[in-house]
Amino acid sequence: MESLRAHARDFADGEVRSRALEIDRRCGDDPRYFDWDLVRAGAAHGLLRFLTPAPAGGAGGLAMQASVVMEELSAACPGIALIFGAHALGMAPLLLGGAAHWEGVLSGLVASERAESPELMACAITEPEAGTDVEDPDLLRRARISTRARRVRGGFRLTGTKRFISNGSVARWLTVMMPTDPRRPADTLTCFLVDARSEGFGVSRVEHKMGQRACPAAELTFEEVFVPDRYVVGREGDGAPETMIVLACSRAPVGAIATGIARGAYERVLQWLERDPAARGLLEHQHVQLELAWMQEEIHLARQAYMDAATEVDATLGGALSHPAVRALGLVPASVRRRHAVRAWLESDLAREATVRLLHRTTDERAMTRALSLSSLAKAHCADVAMRVTGAALELAGLHAGLIRGELEKLWRDAKLTQIYEGTNQLNRLEVYRGLSHRETIRCLPPLDRVASDGAKV
Amino acid sequence: MSAVTPTERAHLLDTARQFARRELAPRAAAMDAGDHTALEDCWAQVAALGLSHALLGEEHGGADLDVPDFLAIVEELALGDGGIALSVLLSAAALRAIAPDQLQTIQADGRWVLVPVEYGTDVTIRNGRLEGRIACALGAYGADGLVLAAEGQLPIAIPASAPGLALDRDEAQMGLRAAPAASVTLASLMVPAEPSAPAGADALVLLWAGTAAIARGIARRARDQAFEYACARHQGGVPIIDHDAVSDMLAAMGAKLTLPLPAATDFANALAAKIAYTDAAVEITTDAVQVFGGTGYMRETGVEKLMRDAKYCQLFPQPNWVARNRLIALERERAAP
Repeated sequence: MESLRAHARDFADGEVRSRALEIDRRCGDDPRYFDWDLVRAGAAHGLLRFLTPAPAGGAGGLAMQASVVMEELSAACPGIALIFGAHALGMAPLLLGGAAHWEGVLSGLVASERAESPELMACAITEPEAGTDVEDPDLLRRARISTRARRVRGGFRLTGTKRFISNGSVARWLTVMMPTDPRRPADTLTCFLVDARSEGFGVSRVEHKMGQRACPAAELTFEEVFVPDRYVVGREGDGAPETMIVLACSRAPVGAIATGIARGAYERVLQWLERDPAARGLLEHQHVQLELAWMQEEIHLARQAYMDAATEVDATLGGALSHPAVRALGLVPASVRRRHAVRAWLESDLAREATVRLLHRTTDERAMTRALSLSSLAKAHCADVAMRVTGAALELAGLHAGLIRGELEKLWRDAKLTQIYEGTNQLNRLEVYRGLSHRETIRCLPPLDRVASDGAKV
Repeated sequence: MSAVTPTERAHLLDTARQFARRELAPRAAAMDAGDHTALEDCWAQVAALGLSHALLGEEHGGADLDVPDFLAIVEELALGDGGIALSVLLSAAALRAIAPDQLQTIQADGRWVLVPVEYGTDVTIRNGRLEGRIACALGAYGADGLVLAAEGQLPIAIPASAPGLALDRDEAQMGLRAAPAASVTLASLMVPAEPSAPAGADALVLLWAGTAAIARGIARRARDQAFEYACARHQGGVPIIDHDAVSDMLAAMGAKLTLPLPAATDFANALAAKIAYTDAAVEITTDAVQVFGGTGYMRETGVEKLMRDAKYCQLFPQPNWVARNRLIALERERAAP
């Protein structure tokens, strides 16, 4: 873990910090601008594969690794951190799909890094008329879902629009949530792996964001995009619980992004107060001293919150991801796993079913609910800390602080997004209530017995 | 006493309101994005309506407006665009501080700005010459002249063409961008001989009070937009205003806006109003973006701009923590035997 942190910090200090403002400005002028050099440099530090399972060539991490990387990068630039975070988010559903994707997309991504032409992933959940709705299983029942996956011979055809998709315009592969029956989205939401080079896939626009601009947020259109059966991630209809697991995994790292933003603002304003002649004498003010101490407190407690959550998520899901059966499969040479017959089995309904059963054997709904709730708690709390600390740092510096003002303003703009993405803070807090205060069990695991859209029990 | 009748006052306020809605609001995004044509066009209309001169007497082409009436106009303008409202405020404050003789030489559509020389600035006078730098003077870029104002000292008026004065655009300016900021460099600039107007001492008070009015206008706009959106946007099968998570925020925004602006002719009142309303504006605009969700974070709705504008109100003319110190110091001075 410390090695990963050191790599992330090296990258942040050496490549990110000095370029953050310039990239933010360029993306402000042209939201389609994207800095692939930074992606290549980050890939060289292992920042595209900390989540990739070891058999596919990665570090096999989960929420804790993602969180550590996110805090380090976000202290330098949360927008650039988000490029790597959104890539990990896109990959997260594949981890739940078991070994089926090790020799497909995941090992392909690692190969693309080795060829110094890294490919990115993205996760597409939000729709124009459904933001919060698609991130809560109950709201999903009444959601205005406008996308649809239609079963055809050999796979599905995807139609509709996804919005605000981080990395959406630059990703080669996307995990996309769409219902097979829009009238029953909660029961039929399904995760699909989509190749951005597929016919019918398009980027209809890239948003002008207030902050975190280095990572583009795109509107994506799907016009009868064909997805073969083998690219259904998990089982058909398991999209809603898969979304909840993905959110449990991603909200702690979002808390870490927010903590990194707060830390970045604190470090910058402290350095300015200590070193800049323009700030001479300010540290003598008790108000300034109290503000700095309060920032330290907030950042420390925020970090504790996201680390607690990440520990809980890793403990809850780790049993399935590192189960002896999975580890044994990892010992099988890749050349064997690539054989047609082996791959056909790994992609079979039987293997998908076995993955779900393994999940149920190693954890349960209550534990998953607790992990989700703690992640939601961390995300909402850390995001508020990021807003308050960046705002206070900017107020200490004032308008005349020179270069640092631009950096603090950027972090303040960046911070606001953490209160919105991965579910608004309000939605996250309602999940904290349900999971921790009300001790409700939220449906987070795919059911053991599922009925497919054709009526057959799988 | 102002010579303006209640009817004329109501007419002026309505004119400002209509101008903000019809002319400023539609151009706010363009001006924020740096469209100079839109900015110049808006300023020409401001000048034609006499808004920048409104506080001056009729002999100087003004409307002889009272400060509270002027602040009400500034607040209405801020509903259209906070940056233009600030330019009007800066201009009115500057013109109040300029000596009558010099006022005769200023063109009706000229844009002068009051530049506070306070926290974080570095300006000195040696041997009758000004030296130093002001890193971020809001509204100064492209202005026809500056009036430097420091508390307890008579303001100094300087035409933009004065030798030794350099104005460089502050490209990083985050908020109130229709009042383009400049870094001001003063290199051995001779202090003009003309004494400033007696009202010059009040110019800073006007600036604090006016910033409160702008913050209030920005916050009202944010609340109005958030309310409208919350009624139209559905999640969970109902308009989002039906969710307590949203209605609580909207109610809190409304509550923060119920207090009227004080008659801010007194420095302590002006400071207190600025602290209260700019803090409230930051909270209200931040919550407005939250009501809009992801859409509010994007440039298209204009709500994130309100948040940026409000934050600049909190930092101008000085950050609120400095203002709080100043407020207590004033109270202690008054309480002293």
